[in-house]
Amino acid sequence: MEKELTMPKLRPEMENGVLCAWLKEEGDTVAAGEPLFEIETDKVVNQIEATESGVLKKQLFEEGDTVNVETPVAILETK
Amino acid sequence: MILTVQNLSHDPFYNQAFEEFVFQTFREGDVFLLWQNSPAVIVGSFQNICREVHVKTLRELGIPIVRRMSGGGTVYHDLGNVNYTYITRQEGLVDYDRCLQPVIDALNDIGVPARKNRTCDIAIGEQKISGSAQRAAGGRVLHHGTLLFQSDLAVLDRITTHHKNDCFQSKGTVSAICPVTNIADHLASPMTLEDFRKRLLDRMVPPGSPRLTLTAEQEAEVCRLRDEKYHSWEWTWGRTPAFTYEKSGTFAGSPIRVAYQAKKGIVSDAVIDCDAVDGAEAARLLNGACLDPECFDTICRALVGDRAEDLMDWLL
Repeated sequence: MEKELTMPKLRPEMENGVLCAWLKEEGDTVAAGEPLFEIETDKVVNQIEATESGVLKKQLFEEGDTVNVETPVAILETK
Repeated sequence: MILTVQNLSHDPFYNQAFEEFVFQTFREGDVFLLWQNSPAVIVGSFQNICREVHVKTLRELGIPIVRRMSGGGTVYHDLGNVNYTYITRQEGLVDYDRCLQPVIDALNDIGVPARKNRTCDIAIGEQKISGSAQRAAGGRVLHHGTLLFQSDLAVLDRITTHHKNDCFQSKGTVSAICPVTNIADHLASPMTLEDFRKRLLDRMVPPGSPRLTLTAEQEAEVCRLRDEKYHSWEWTWGRTPAFTYEKSGTFAGSPIRVAYQAKKGIVSDAVIDCDAVDGAEAARLLNGACLDPECFDTICRALVGDRAEDLMDWLL
């Protein structure tokens, strides 16, 4: 099953965040709770963790891209 | 419950590692740290160093550049500045006030007329005395900030406000420039920096709360992290957001145009177009080179010998 991970809304005022770093590459196995990517908004760097175990199927943005909140960033293939 | 871990080091690389180690290791309750760096420039997790500061000036002054793990902009630290770190559980949304307010209250208690300003600054009147940033991971948040007590504001101004390099077309976080002031200039009754540290710590970590020091084994772990991460090219320069660079003018009496790109800190598409420089050799040396002042210096020496320092100005 495919599952989308989106850019979270970390503050009520937040409209977008910058995808700073991918911590997993496409094809990598990811355990639930493991960090997948890092985002920055308003001087906070936040590690975004996988909510379920699976394989990182697709990185939808590149490092450095500004992404609007609730927009899908990664697709995780789960069982 | 709140505890503190003593850190008497002034080494900016060690201190970043110390903070990260404490963040990873002390997972229960709240942690408050006070620490100081000898002169250093500390850049945000996702900043283009060359755009924020003039690397050549820092090299001349012998001031190291350290990348930290939190977001935000570039700051200058010296021994007139006191840094604090507040580590706590992450509860829902990002909330600066939850970490800032206890510090502002403590400052007020010891006679500093501080107030919150903008999202995460502390000010006296309209002048900034403290900036802060955060890192959140694994259900915990690390909030840290500067406290300008008696810093050399002339050096701070020279390093962080001038020489912004517009030749870089780059993603990444750009620093804000704010009017700043020193806490020591706003006290009704004077106190030394040591008094200030002690009184602030006593307010934040009341007597009776745990005051820890690292064991020898923990100390060794911090040193390993310092050497393997914070001293590494991969962390400091390799994390530079992708950019394109272009600059033209006059070098050694001839017109010069320099252009290159860098992705993950590796140079490509390098062009030096100038009668005084061997363009083919420049491209050969620069393409694939690491974005790094030492490496660029070696390349400049190979290309133009004694004029290397001048050529560096065109490259970074």
